[in-house]
Amino acid sequence: MTDRVEFRSVTKEYDGNVVVAPLDLSIAAGEFVVLLGPSGSGKTTLLNMIGGFASPSSGRVLIDGQDFTDLPPARRPTATVFQDYALFPHMSLAANVAFGLRMQGMAKPARLAKAEAMLELVGLKGFGKRGVHQLSGGQRQRVALARAMAVEPKVLLLDEPLGALDLALRRQMQEELVRLQKRSGATFVHVTHDQEEAMSIADRIVVVNKGRIEDMGPPDRVYLKPATLFAATFMGESNVLAGRVAAVSSGEIQVETPLGALVVPGSALLASDVHLVLRPEQLQLTPPANGFALGQARVEELSFQGTHCRCHCHMSGQDLVLRAPVSAGLKTGATVTLHAARDDVVVLKA
Amino acid sequence: MVGRFASWAYLGIALLFIFLPVLVLIQFSFQGGMAPVPPFDGPSLRWWAKVMANRKITDGLWNSLLVGLGSAFMATVLGFLAAYAMARKRRRLSGLYQFLLMAPITVSYLIIGMGLQIFFNHLGIGKSLWVIGIGHVVINLPLTFAILYSQLGEHQANIERAAYDLGASDARVVLEITVPMLWPSLLAAFFIAATLSWDEFVIAFLLSRFDVTLPVVIWSMLRSGLSPELNAAGTLVFGISILAVALVELLLWRARRNRA
Ligand SMILES: Nc1ncnc2c1ncn2[C@@H]1O[C@H](COP(=O)(O)OP(=O)(O)OP(=O)(O)O)[C@@H](O)[C@H]1O
Ligand SMILES: [Mg+2]
Repeated sequence: MTDRVEFRSVTKEYDGNVVVAPLDLSIAAGEFVVLLGPSGSGKTTLLNMIGGFASPSSGRVLIDGQDFTDLPPARRPTATVFQDYALFPHMSLAANVAFGLRMQGMAKPARLAKAEAMLELVGLKGFGKRGVHQLSGGQRQRVALARAMAVEPKVLLLDEPLGALDLALRRQMQEELVRLQKRSGATFVHVTHDQEEAMSIADRIVVVNKGRIEDMGPPDRVYLKPATLFAATFMGESNVLAGRVAAVSSGEIQVETPLGALVVPGSALLASDVHLVLRPEQLQLTPPANGFALGQARVEELSFQGTHCRCHCHMSGQDLVLRAPVSAGLKTGATVTLHAARDDVVVLKA
Repeated sequence: MVGRFASWAYLGIALLFIFLPVLVLIQFSFQGGMAPVPPFDGPSLRWWAKVMANRKITDGLWNSLLVGLGSAFMATVLGFLAAYAMARKRRRLSGLYQFLLMAPITVSYLIIGMGLQIFFNHLGIGKSLWVIGIGHVVINLPLTFAILYSQLGEHQANIERAAYDLGASDARVVLEITVPMLWPSLLAAFFIAATLSWDEFVIAFLLSRFDVTLPVVIWSMLRSGLSPELNAAGTLVFGISILAVALVELLLWRARRNRA
């Protein structure tokens, strides 16, 4: 089966600045892909190249195996939900949603019926006659979604569509997006710089940095076993230990770190520099099965977070962050022994 | 308390200073006697009746309306096209074009009028209402361009992009999205241009011969002395201007509200 969207060694330059380095990416039909990356990393540029609002400096963009690189947005089976909604201010909601259908030449009764159905789908049943100015931000976002989905695009492109909404509404809209995506079977490509949003909605996360793909895969994999240091630190908090490989044996390496020599599963070249990555919740106060002790740490700072205590520790010149259970009753200045499970440690080439 | 009173008093005096001459002009258009000077012995509509029966004035009124509406329409259309091109199709020399478009605003009406007079003379085109209209397009184009250009920002560009994305052609985007979206601003630009043309004197004077506009008629009547009839004609000019300005304010207010 051919992929729904395919980037083939695509690059993009603006006035000599490389914004997208040669990049290959395949997106399957019906997939919910999230492009995650910091500001300026090139997410919007990638999305625009799928939608036809930007053309690559080199390389090809394929949709369903067909070359769409040079076709304008109007001729692509894509639709975009813009961050500022970009609703037509002089039209009713029904006319907004029906606009794409009208451009396709659908007869009036049919397109109005479809618009009404789309509005119902996004929870705005009976709002068709209203104007854009009578809506809240969340409602506008829903209309933008209904308008884009009304033309039944093969690929729906969403550029930080939830950026302007408050937290509660954002959570709710995230769930609705997933529901709509499953229902319509369309491919969603969603851009965000919010890693929690990415994890909660994506089938697959593509971590982008400086126009390159740092890592991609299912959210749990990217979170638990990030492929690069950037992915590890951008997708949530990480403790990073810089070290050098002192010994290599089958399936295990010994790494000299500021905390002493640690033996962890993995492979690396002897004497190469590596980073060991551990998530805050992977540092434990009690020895886990198949774990090892990192050593004694001094508790420097504590903050109560409800479900856990966030705790800054200091150990042999290294700062560590951990999530301690509230029941552990840690106090500032106390000394604790930290443990980690062997399998939790991620070894990354420096 | 005193400060508050003082600021209101200041406002009152300032407004009085601006509007008293106009109010007096209006009042004495209803004068009963022959001279537009106190004591006021009206109100009477006799001078208004005279104005309405004066062919020179009614002809001037129609000519002014014709030139005002026609030149404002042209200035708005051309201003929109220029603003759209500048805002949407960035070209290398767009800075220069923009400067050239705005330049006439720095040139005095007298110079523009003279220039056009010489230019049309060379072409062998006689003075007429058409030529006055062209002069008014020249002076109003920078204004309509500036008003409309300011309304074609990135937010509007995104809205147009959404229309392209949904399959609209260039022409449909302009006609169904850009123009309707800018409608209040287009009307505002139109009425501002029409108002400025309506009471413009210098260019209209230099470029007219047989058909003249209302300000030129009033000027020629002024030469034979003051009369309440002139007050009535002036009031007419002023009243129509005020009406247009009120329309502009209303439209701009609506445009602002719609943008929010
Ligand atoms: N039209 C343009 N002309 C010049 N440079 C551009 C243009 N569009 C984008 N860039 C540059 O390309 C880079 C990537 O931009 P892009 O908008 O794709 O980033 P992004 O990941 O979407 O960022 P954000 O999260 O802030 O939206 C930025 O450095 C930006 O300055
Ligand atoms: Mg962006």
